[in-house]
Amino acid sequence: MTTLLFTHPVCLEHDTGFGHPECPARLTAILNVLRTSPFAALEWREAPAATLEQLTRIHPQTHVERLFAQVPKQGQYALDGDTILSPRSGEAARYSAGAACAAVDAILRREASNAFCAIRPPGHHAEPKQAMGFCLFANAALAAAHARAIHGLERVAIIDFDVHHGNGTQAALEHDPGYLYISTHQAYIYPGTGRREERGVGNIVNVPLLANSGSADLRHVWRQDIEPALREFQPQLILISAGFDAHYMDPLAELNFNEDDYAWLTQQILAIATEYCEGRVVSLLEGGYSLPALASSVAAHVRALMEAPKAAQRSLIKSILERQRAKRKAAGA
Amino acid sequence: MYEFLKYEVRDAMTPNPIAIGPDVKLREVEDLFESHDFNGVPVVDGERHLLGILTKFDLLKAFTLDSHLMVPHYEEIMEQTAEAVMTRNPVSVSPHLPLSRLLQKLVEMRTKSLPVVEDGRLTGIIAREDVLKALRRATLKHEIPVHADLPQ
Repeated sequence: MTTLLFTHPVCLEHDTGFGHPECPARLTAILNVLRTSPFAALEWREAPAATLEQLTRIHPQTHVERLFAQVPKQGQYALDGDTILSPRSGEAARYSAGAACAAVDAILRREASNAFCAIRPPGHHAEPKQAMGFCLFANAALAAAHARAIHGLERVAIIDFDVHHGNGTQAALEHDPGYLYISTHQAYIYPGTGRREERGVGNIVNVPLLANSGSADLRHVWRQDIEPALREFQPQLILISAGFDAHYMDPLAELNFNEDDYAWLTQQILAIATEYCEGRVVSLLEGGYSLPALASSVAAHVRALMEAPKAAQRSLIKSILERQRAKRKAAGA
Repeated sequence: MYEFLKYEVRDAMTPNPIAIGPDVKLREVEDLFESHDFNGVPVVDGERHLLGILTKFDLLKAFTLDSHLMVPHYEEIMEQTAEAVMTRNPVSVSPHLPLSRLLQKLVEMRTKSLPVVEDGRLTGIIAREDVLKALRRATLKHEIPVHADLPQ
């Protein structure tokens, strides 16, 4: 069982204009790293386009149609000060959402234990009726809804470690206790939501961090807030909104995570997934705007995903041996 | 030795300093900072009543990350007016304030300069450099004879 990598060439053609931080070069930097020999065991898959049925699980059809109608024939169209459409943006958004749903299908059909979707535009700011913050469709929420609708899951958890709060994912899922949404993000920056008091129907766990928080703070909130919430929820599938803009080199925020933190956090999530849902994890690319930091952080994240089955086997063998030892000891006593 | 205690703000300040109106754009303020060695510039109305002060920090603050947009729109922010980002009701001093007291105030407030106001109108600006210059002047007079006595 390996790790799947879902992507699509059209994701490189979503053109946000000269100098925009959410640029095609982000994806190029990631794919260049994932093509190197340490990642040879990754199984690359071409993402399909999301169907209208998949998109309308979260977004009203009128909104989806309006968004596609706003896609310009040439040049660029600004939905807001941050969010830019180019001629191929509608398609890129469709394939990004499609990647998320296809990855869920593959993992729940046990074709692999986990998957990473190298996609853009990102999704976690996209609300059901409002594209914003570089995001067009709510990829993570769509994947979660797909898992419930098609595969009959009852409990899907989303962990969002992008430096910005995923207002879109929260807005889409906050009324349904079948979803758990957990977000770490820097307080007081875009989009301004994600206060601790925003708890949905008890299924939203917001963990705002102050500027300059780093590795120690991440470990603290994992133990304090994230791990207990996950254990109580007992997820049948874990989705990750994997933004890497909390890295200390990122120009759009002021948190200080590093590559080791992303590897550590990924391992913690995988350990919970192994315990509750046979290691089933689907990770979706969100933000991350320093190209070198993005590439090295994704590498650390994907390396941890790929090592997960080995780590799980090691811990399985260890627990079997321990049980046998205990049995022998009991028999001898 | 006690020369410095005789000085008042007006003895060391820059009189009739360059000031700007409230409608001046940040781009022009930046030009002003570029061409002069100012820490901040007073903002006045047509009769030189002090409305505020715009420091380099006020200018930087206009460009910080906030919850409104993911990326600040740098060009648009440069087109904002001084009035939008200046510090209102700034601390000011009288030209007759003893310079020793002004020195205390600058250190306590960790500020680099203060506007000087008399009868509500801007008459000067006093900065760290002005106080340092006055200190040198006050102490130099005392030290000259000492150096003159040194053996060749």
